Amino acid sequence: MLSFKFIKEKFIKSLPLVILYFLSLNSFVLVNDIPNVDVFSFNLQMIIIYFYALKFPEYLGFGHVFLIGIFKDVLIGTPLGSTALCYLVLCLVATYLRNVTLRPRLASEWFTFVPALFFSNATYFTIINNFSNLSFYYVELLRVTFFTFLFFPIFYFFLNSHLKLYNKDNA
Amino acid sequence: MAEQRDDLLIALRYALLKKGTKQKFSLFFLIIVSILVIILDKLSYSYITKTRAVLNDFIYQVAIVTSSPEKFTKYLIDRGIHHYSVYDENNLLKEQNAELKAQLVNNQFLKTENEMLKEALKLSSNKSIEQDVSVIAKVVIDQESPYLKSFLLNKGTSDGVKKGMTVFSDKYLIGTIVEANYLTSRVLLINDLNSKIPVIIQDSNVNAILSGQGVKRRMVLDYLPEQYQLEPGRNIYTSGKDGILAAGIAVGETYYNEKDKIVEVRTLADLDQTLFVQITNGQLR
Repeated sequence: MLSFKFIKEKFIKSLPLVILYFLSLNSFVLVNDIPNVDVFSFNLQMIIIYFYALKFPEYLGFGHVFLIGIFKDVLIGTPLGSTALCYLVLCLVATYLRNVTLRPRLASEWFTFVPALFFSNATYFTIINNFSNLSFYYVELLRVTFFTFLFFPIFYFFLNSHLKLYNKDNA
Repeated sequence: MAEQRDDLLIALRYALLKKGTKQKFSLFFLIIVSILVIILDKLSYSYITKTRAVLNDFIYQVAIVTSSPEKFTKYLIDRGIHHYSVYDENNLLKEQNAELKAQLVNNQFLKTENEMLKEALKLSSNKSIEQDVSVIAKVVIDQESPYLKSFLLNKGTSDGVKKGMTVFSDKYLIGTIVEANYLTSRVLLINDLNSKIPVIIQDSNVNAILSGQGVKRRMVLDYLPEQYQLEPGRNIYTSGKDGILAAGIAVGETYYNEKDKIVEVRTLADLDQTLFVQITNGQLR
């Protein structure tokens, strides 16, 4: 029988996926709609995917990451599969880093986010440039990437709190 | 050195092929699937296009439902902001109304004079492209992205919408249809970086290309003559030189940017406030 505790537990565990699906199906880009603050816009999806792929991959199925990327591609209008591949590359780098890291710490995870973002964005640019006629502002993307990197520790704290909440409920 | 390389390869192979706990697919498999999807999408065979159109329709319908709370919040914020600016807006509108009334008289005279001159020159009146389809559509998703500035509309091929049709908001051109699915369609906005429109500047015979900047209403005029100085308060119209858009459609206006102390171009339609649009295959009547 479904108990309240079971549902709560499931919900807390699926929270990152729910957020990711919500963000991919919405035009909502956090601070983009607030005048004068849109310069600080960043990619929350990348932060969530990197965090869970690096620390707790059992919370985030790669199949879901692929689907989220496909949804995003359809909504934005970029070549189908490009965002999915970009997110999967991010997962690949995170999984590789998890395999080679002995003692994970915030500082090391934060700075390894740079190569992860680099490879992910490089894949994306390559696809956009070769498989579509779209042109876009590199400076804006660089800015978004920079703030994604910069805000990582803040969300690291929140996402860690989510994990603590889940573990506390399971204890 | 060789050992280090081996370690790297082992870790990479492990990351690619090893399925973690509760993972149904390996990363390698999903990456290959993504690459296949990208290639198939690029090939654009008819059955792929149809499949993509069905997928698009499905995802758009889901997105319409999931984005409704956000839309409602945005609506409340907009209403709140609008409420506090009503007094200033009223004063501004009064001033503009007085100016327009004065211009209207002048325009009537110019129109009559134009007709007379045409008659004298035996020129046929400038026929606009025949308009046989006109569809009113609602903006269902206003997609903010650094790559594409576009709207998703709730009308598709089932309502007669086709790729390449022009879209208007409040009689002003706002973009063209770049993707037509069965139930929905996507309009590429004129402020998108990929939008290039041949235009002519009011009270001059200067031709230019109006390009989007990907930022709010701001646009830029490319290929202006050397030493040409833009003046504020001029309207920008389509020149029709692309053979797609009819000539004389109002697209933008020049204005003086107080902050940067330069004359800039912006769209006439407020794209952020657009809710309903008119889709035609020509010029608005």
